[in-house]
Amino acid sequence: MSKINWILRAFLVLFFAGLLVTCALVCHAAAAANPDAAALLKRSDTYRNGWPSYVVQVKITHLEAGKPDEEKLYEVSQKGTDKTYVEFLSPREKGQHLLMLGDDMWMYLPDTSRPVRITPLERLSGDASNGDVARTNYAADYSPIYLRTEKVGTEDCYVLDLTAKRKGATYQRILYWLRVEDARPVRAEFYLTSGKHIKSATFDEYLPSGGISLLHRLTLYDEIRHNSRSVLEYTGSTPRALPDKLFYQGRTDRF
Amino acid sequence: MNRQLLISAILLAASVPMTAQDTPAQDAPPPESRYNFRYTFAAINDATFYSDLVPPLPAQASQLLNDPAVTLFQNQLLVEPSFTLRYRSRWTLASSVVGLADSHGGLSAADFDVPAGSPAAQALDAFLVPYTGTFTQLRVKEAYAGLSVGDFDFMAGRRIVRWGTGYAFTAVGVLDPPRMPTNPTDRLNLNEGRDMVKADYVHGPHAFTLAWSTAALAPAAAGLHDTTAVRYNVLVHGFDTALIAGDDRGGDAFGGLTFTRVLGQAWELHGEAAWREHEAILLGAKYTMHSGVTFIGEFYTPPNIPYYRDMTISSLDGRQCYAFLTAYKNRLRELPGWKQWDLSAAMVTNLNDRSYTAIFDANRRFGSRFSSYLHMEIPVGKSTSEYGATPYATATSMGVRFQL
Repeated sequence: MSKINWILRAFLVLFFAGLLVTCALVCHAAAAANPDAAALLKRSDTYRNGWPSYVVQVKITHLEAGKPDEEKLYEVSQKGTDKTYVEFLSPREKGQHLLMLGDDMWMYLPDTSRPVRITPLERLSGDASNGDVARTNYAADYSPIYLRTEKVGTEDCYVLDLTAKRKGATYQRILYWLRVEDARPVRAEFYLTSGKHIKSATFDEYLPSGGISLLHRLTLYDEIRHNSRSVLEYTGSTPRALPDKLFYQGRTDRF
Repeated sequence: MNRQLLISAILLAASVPMTAQDTPAQDAPPPESRYNFRYTFAAINDATFYSDLVPPLPAQASQLLNDPAVTLFQNQLLVEPSFTLRYRSRWTLASSVVGLADSHGGLSAADFDVPAGSPAAQALDAFLVPYTGTFTQLRVKEAYAGLSVGDFDFMAGRRIVRWGTGYAFTAVGVLDPPRMPTNPTDRLNLNEGRDMVKADYVHGPHAFTLAWSTAALAPAAAGLHDTTAVRYNVLVHGFDTALIAGDDRGGDAFGGLTFTRVLGQAWELHGEAAWREHEAILLGAKYTMHSGVTFIGEFYTPPNIPYYRDMTISSLDGRQCYAFLTAYKNRLRELPGWKQWDLSAAMVTNLNDRSYTAIFDANRRFGSRFSSYLHMEIPVGKSTSEYGATPYATATSMGVRFQL
């Protein structure tokens, strides 16, 4: 009887030991298969923000039913992850500028000659919203979770689920496809707090600039009015030492 | 000869790797320009019809009008160039002027029961000059030079400054152009700045401003004084707050504070409190709907002192209370064919005498440079009330705007 007990105990010990080793191996393998979502997101941001402090021109072409409808030009000055100054250069908007400090945003309109506080919902207006132009550091605004790996066209992509860290973020949720090879953004879907899928984006073209690869063309698709899309072209990205006072909310210079 | 060929070949060979090295240089960022020049140009033609106008004529002349309901026509052609030149982000030279040709029609001596050519008719013609001919003027909105040194900015010249956070009213905007609640956006861009010397110190979220403004060049009718003012502005946890203090030479000392704050996704709150003999308070809010329709509401109560008093308000009346409400939507994308339209409606009311003015605006874009608009003002109230005393039943403006 005692011999049987001993054999049974030995069997149970060996069984649980084997189970523990198997679990450990499975967990380790799973951990090895799941990439570091935060690191991926941080790396993906470098394709839009090549330098800690820089200036870039953005041309936005709105297309309705495939035909060019309106063209707008902006000069974006960005410092760090939370300071953005956007100068409006197209004829109708000349003299306007927009400032974003963290989640706070001001719009300077020449006809009111003072900075006007912008609510997050106003930030979403337009095919390409103010937030799309002014806020491109997703790692600072969103918490990523790795979902899966899947193919987009011929590219193997990681799919990240980004959730806004704060209510002031432009979108509350983003599904983000990054190329496995180099974490280059390939595609994105943008969602509101209500869960409504509001926009999609394809990251169409990258060009070398100053020795690094930077996003050159991005297309935003309006998921509410399906025949509308906006093409954002980024040119002349230049590292530049920008003074802090450029990002002062009380600044009332016309240009 | 062979040696020359060899040298040429060596140079050519050397140039290949040089060219290859130059290729990435083509992607290299362009150097920063020393000069930075920006300009805008706008031309506006604005035609306004004042219906049922009661011209401010002597009672005897008014009785001689053939038809007491006059429709006055005013056409304004405005040319508005402006530029800013910056040198090495240190020196700034900026100017913004407006050339205005103002024509009137609709009222002349012929509208009165007065024999043509009589001395009375001649006297009337002289009196009616503001309601007939064409006048031209040049307004200097801004003209200033600036110097930026480290955290300091200095400027001298004429400049539009807006320290008030109110949309339709301001209690603390001591250097601001006058706010007109019926035209808060200064739709024809006719506001002029104050002549001043100003120094700003901006460091992190803190900004100090010291300004001295002279009234020497301002028209006497503006009733301005030399003003010295200081302002401290700070952004803390989303609160954009400013403290303002100063003194009007020969007038009052004053102090005030302003704030703006965004709450959640859709709300913005703003306010002003000022002390100048008595307190003046402004509270306002902006709400944006998911559809993009935005509402702005404001409550404003200034003391009845000469600085704040409207011309139509008696000095015997007490403290006045005003309310302003506007709803607007830019680009009516949701309606097929209305993407190029902006619409807004507003109402400003004097809560004491219950008079109000309703304002309606429609704007339509044509391409990237042209737009047209319709602006209507309808004052309502007793003839002794603030808005009811407006000398017309409706003012309807139509215009075309060109921007370069």
